[in-house]
Amino acid sequence: MTRNFATLPLLLLLIVISLPLTVMYGFLILDTFTDAPPGELWPDRFTLEHWRFLFDGGEIGNVWAAAGNSLILAGSMTVIVLTVSTTGAYALSRLNLPFRRFFLAGVLVMHAFPSVTLLIGVFFVLNLTGLYNSMIGVILVKSSLMLPFGIWIMKGFYDAVPWEIEMAGVQDGASRFTVWRRLILPQVKPGLVALSVFSFLDGWGEYLLPRILAPGSDMEVLSVFLNELIAADQLGFNFNLFKSVGVFYTLPVVLLYVIFQHRLMNIFGGGTKG
Amino acid sequence: MLSPALILLACFYFAPVALTTAFAFTDMSTATGIGTGAYVITPNTLRGLQDEGLPEDVAAQVMAETYIVDRAGLDAAVAAGMDEGFVADISARLTGRAYDSARDFIRALRELPNAPRSPRAITAAAEIFGRSALNRRFETREELAEALAIATPEGAIETREQLLDASYTGAVFTTENFRRLATQRETGRVLLNTLFYVSATLAIFNVGLALFLAITLFYLPKGLMGVFGTLWLLPRITPLVLYAILWKWFTWEGGFLPILAEQVGLPSFNYMKGSVVTAWITMISLNGFIGASFGLILFSGALRTIPMQQLWASEVDGATRWQQVRRIILPQMRWPILFVTTYQTMSLLASYAEIWLTTNGGPGRTTTVWALEAFRTALFNYSGNLEYGLGSAMALMLVIVGFALSLVYLRLFRFDELVTRPRIEF
Repeated sequence: MTRNFATLPLLLLLIVISLPLTVMYGFLILDTFTDAPPGELWPDRFTLEHWRFLFDGGEIGNVWAAAGNSLILAGSMTVIVLTVSTTGAYALSRLNLPFRRFFLAGVLVMHAFPSVTLLIGVFFVLNLTGLYNSMIGVILVKSSLMLPFGIWIMKGFYDAVPWEIEMAGVQDGASRFTVWRRLILPQVKPGLVALSVFSFLDGWGEYLLPRILAPGSDMEVLSVFLNELIAADQLGFNFNLFKSVGVFYTLPVVLLYVIFQHRLMNIFGGGTKG
Repeated sequence: MLSPALILLACFYFAPVALTTAFAFTDMSTATGIGTGAYVITPNTLRGLQDEGLPEDVAAQVMAETYIVDRAGLDAAVAAGMDEGFVADISARLTGRAYDSARDFIRALRELPNAPRSPRAITAAAEIFGRSALNRRFETREELAEALAIATPEGAIETREQLLDASYTGAVFTTENFRRLATQRETGRVLLNTLFYVSATLAIFNVGLALFLAITLFYLPKGLMGVFGTLWLLPRITPLVLYAILWKWFTWEGGFLPILAEQVGLPSFNYMKGSVVTAWITMISLNGFIGASFGLILFSGALRTIPMQQLWASEVDGATRWQQVRRIILPQMRWPILFVTTYQTMSLLASYAEIWLTTNGGPGRTTTVWALEAFRTALFNYSGNLEYGLGSAMALMLVIVGFALSLVYLRLFRFDELVTRPRIEF
């Protein structure tokens, strides 16, 4: 392309707009290793003190236990979402179900529907079923709210698998189930990977559900743990400590993103290329 | 193969919607509890009913404690471990009698030959025979009705029914929530806040900034594009709690902006909660930064599908960049923009977690939006009385709006293309 337009002013504008983000994330990393005198922006000394919480839980409590609980929440949620939506999506994509059109429309509407508005209703459901205040309830709710998304994504991947593969399998005498397990599943592996990473990240970052639906649970997840730190006043506003715990909390997320960046981009925003 | 999905969706999608709808028409709250209640008449109930025209004498009768010596009372007295001789006395001399005041009854008891010496023991004995409808918990309506029939034998049936209705502690069906929402002045304000919040965030950030970023990055060299693309993706992938901490650090007193402002001599205070204007700016930008990345990804994808030839041709004809954007790019972005607008309107309307963790609707209630208000009414407030019914009514409105917008969204998708029939028929 010819350069009949100066890029420089535009670039400057872009930098100015991005400045808040740059400052926030720049200082996020910087502050975990340094200390600044009160009332000053720039740090004047290097310190590893803010990372002491990793070995010494005395000040803030056991961060590893909380991380373990987060892992359980995100892990079990991933398993549920993955199994239920791979089977469900296959049925919707390939099987000649009664009311298939209706189910598809339902899943799509639920996928678009802002599920946070259901939180109050979910609270009643858990209260009536006795699952309130337990991590099992949170996991079930979180997985269910993720299901329409999962089914929709997986359906997209199944739709892209050529019918010929499946027909060849059936021709050779395999049952529909064997065809699905042996021939189709390997074809949609990229979808499985993307969906599992995605739901893991979703579970890992979740704050609202464990906080509201299981406030008295013994299992405190990392997000709740981190927010309790800020709410508890006895530490003062030691932002550098909060940020260190925050970075510890976010590190797995960033790692997963770096590893799976390209696969995730495909389904970001609900896999919906408008 | 579909059944596990159907069961989970039924439990946690349809059941919540159904319950939200049902409970929106009740006055359920912490006081009534979730589930069925009991029947209790308290002095407060009576006072309230008297204001509504309950006859004085009926109220007084219900209020009054009566003492009746009967089989049940005697059994209770034996069970309570009272002196046997004393119980026998009561049974022999006082059976069938009723007293209107504690004083009379205690005097009668004291005159009995085997009465205990201590006044306290006599008072305790008297209490066993006390019959009052007041402050007692009845599990069913019939039980209370019987008690009332004893207390006010000549009270009219309607009056008793009125008492029974008023004494129910459980939730009852009512349309009061919607009437309250429609008449409260607070509702209008929250609605206006929501409208302002959604439209400003959408226009400035989710569509405006996203479009600007996407087009600018489109023209920049690949390397720079990657850097800025990643930077703007960060708010979306950062866990909510950490993102809230970052904004607190950025805007609170002792944080980045206030210190910076102090150093250059501008007013320095807690920008997140200190004044209405700064609170709005903070709230809109912190949500907008998350929203911008969604639009950025979608718009970038759409930009890549524009045929390069069109851009080259326009440059041969001497078009400036602005003309290119205005005449070639923007017209082709109509669908993505419409799509982002519908989708993000829903997200913004429904989401409150970010607001809850940061401004929390403050200062005062100036930045309170509908979803946050519903959530706080029903599930989280400091007064301790959670009004589930009213909160459900508010949530129901959101559910309806969300559902309507989802249907619009479904139309934009051209749904029919997605439901081609399967080609293997078993």
